[in-house]
Amino acid sequence: MIYLDHHAATPLSAAARAAMETVADVAWANPSSAHGAGRRSRAVLEDARRAVAEAVGARPADLVFTSGGTEACQLAIDGLRPTRVALGPFEHPAVRAAAEASGVPILSSDAALEPGTLVALQWVNHETGATSAVTTMAEACRESGAMLFVDATQALGRIPVDVGALGATAVAFASHKIGGPSGAGALHVERGRALRPTMPGGGQERGRRGGSPSVLALAGFGAAARALPERLAQMSRVARWRDRIETLLVARGGRVNGAEGERVASATNVSIPGWRAAVLVAALDLEGVMISAGAACSSGVDAPSPVITALYPDDLERAASAIRVSFGPEGLDDDAIEAAAGIFERVLQRT
Amino acid sequence: MSERILVAMSGGVDSSVAAALLAEQGHELVGVTLHLWDAAGEQKIGRCCAPEDREDARITCDHLGIPHYVLDEREAFRTHVIEPFLDAYQAGTTPLPCAHCNRTVKLVQLAALAERFGATRVATGHYARTQEGRLLRGVDQGKDQSYFLFGVPRDVLEKMVFPLGGMNKDEAREHGRRLGVPNADKPDSQELCFVPDGDVGGFVERERGGRRPGHVVTPDGERLASHEGVEAFTVGQRRGLGLGGGEPRYVLRILGDDVVVGGADALMTQHLVARDVHWLADGFARAEGSNEPFDAAVRIRHRHPPAAARVVPTATGFEAHFAAPQRAITPGQAAVVYRGDEVLGGGFIQ
Repeated sequence: MIYLDHHAATPLSAAARAAMETVADVAWANPSSAHGAGRRSRAVLEDARRAVAEAVGARPADLVFTSGGTEACQLAIDGLRPTRVALGPFEHPAVRAAAEASGVPILSSDAALEPGTLVALQWVNHETGATSAVTTMAEACRESGAMLFVDATQALGRIPVDVGALGATAVAFASHKIGGPSGAGALHVERGRALRPTMPGGGQERGRRGGSPSVLALAGFGAAARALPERLAQMSRVARWRDRIETLLVARGGRVNGAEGERVASATNVSIPGWRAAVLVAALDLEGVMISAGAACSSGVDAPSPVITALYPDDLERAASAIRVSFGPEGLDDDAIEAAAGIFERVLQRT
Repeated sequence: MSERILVAMSGGVDSSVAAALLAEQGHELVGVTLHLWDAAGEQKIGRCCAPEDREDARITCDHLGIPHYVLDEREAFRTHVIEPFLDAYQAGTTPLPCAHCNRTVKLVQLAALAERFGATRVATGHYARTQEGRLLRGVDQGKDQSYFLFGVPRDVLEKMVFPLGGMNKDEAREHGRRLGVPNADKPDSQELCFVPDGDVGGFVERERGGRRPGHVVTPDGERLASHEGVEAFTVGQRRGLGLGGGEPRYVLRILGDDVVVGGADALMTQHLVARDVHWLADGFARAEGSNEPFDAAVRIRHRHPPAAARVVPTATGFEAHFAAPQRAITPGQAAVVYRGDEVLGGGFIQ
């Protein structure tokens, strides 16, 4: 089994697993409880917050823990109370759906910036790995008085992230893209910025996110965040693996999508002539290679990728045949990549 | 010998039992559910369309420990099955969408997928048998589905495995229970998968934004009543004509917007013309249109016992001349030619 779908979820890292095992007998308690068990759980939670804060250059108090990336995106778009949302062209469905549900007018991200407008711009595209000019956008927003929300779920662990240097209003992170468990995420909100909770609940997270947090998952998130420097140090290896598979796919007629500008090392998105993406995903799965045809959330129906459709609107075949192969440090080595390459070659011959 | 077999999982009992039997034989199975249609009123249970059925298919595959994939064929299904179905009803015929689906979407797509998946064969829960590339009736005369399969291309048919073809429904259910198939007692679906409530007229109206109203007339053209749409009628139908008492009258044919009715004896005819013909058996497949007339048995609808007929191949299909009059020969349905248990071929009644 060769797992090449690290943009959907990374395998649980050794660091995260060890941390969760260590705190499992403590983290069950409600961190809001006033007694000893609660305090011990609270200590685990706050340790995780410090770890994530340090990893992204934030103050711990400015981080709101959530159940994951989707909730963090929802909380930003809801909680910042924008009067308009300007969406980047390739946003994740979690962001797009939150904007649509908010009921405020939706603009494109090149619309005029003004106070009250929230620009939502992903840092790294989930399907192609292409990076957006978030720093430039942050400056433009500051000058015009608009707010900026950066979905950094696919950026963290792949490129250095420093929320202080970025200067966005809010930034979303998810644990399961950096070797942590799913079910944990965070929203960084700039100091002094009011955030209305989506779930007021019992006023947890300083009144910004109600509900008892999953301390266990967040402990895993914290440990994964502490291991980020080692993770980033492996990105050159990851890039080599990505290039190996991408070169192979191009040699078989594949067209690389979204590689015109800068992109992270961890993914390639390629349209394979003569294949429907969902069919190729299944055919590879049967041989033990796991990839995806786009965002993993939208399974059930193999609708063509909205990202690739938006990138190449005049070539719908390109979206229908687009696969995403994504890589990371966990569970891979040169031998695994060579084995995967052999399987790709064999399966692609079936035309 | 164990081989990789693609098995079509509809979420119903038959395909589940078929898969369980093949798994028991030690084959490596790949479960595939084709997503063909989004049924209106998603809570209704259709054969291959409702989300619960896809979920049942997944549960069965999990139970068997085999991979399961849902693949989207809604566009092909609409183009090749639904639109012709709507056209046919609006033209006053009674289409046979399962036969069209099998030959243009379902089995053809499954065979193509099998190739992509490195599978040598394709299994379904149909009650039919194959033998060296020949198509035979299922052993259970009540369940036999060979009627719906006559149009399947020969090269596709050669890949098919029908694990239930040699048994009856009770045996299939018994195997299902024995093998712990989760939905072994799920009721059979009787309706078209895309019209789960059975209201074809309502379906045509929803899809086409209206019906074709007209009159109920005698063969001489005398108007007896008005009707709300030709889609609600099929040849041989007695109910719903709005004619009140008297001699029972039946739909004889549909001409434009007119539904022509008459007595039971007028329903009995002895002759049909079939077009869009597909010959399966050796000796017919190649020399289509140039064959000599021959004696066979012809089935004119599902569950109709094939009736003795003289079959005359023509340049555009065939004609069948029955030894005895048949009740309600219905345009749009298939005329399938049998010799013993073997399906020689078939076509669509004009």
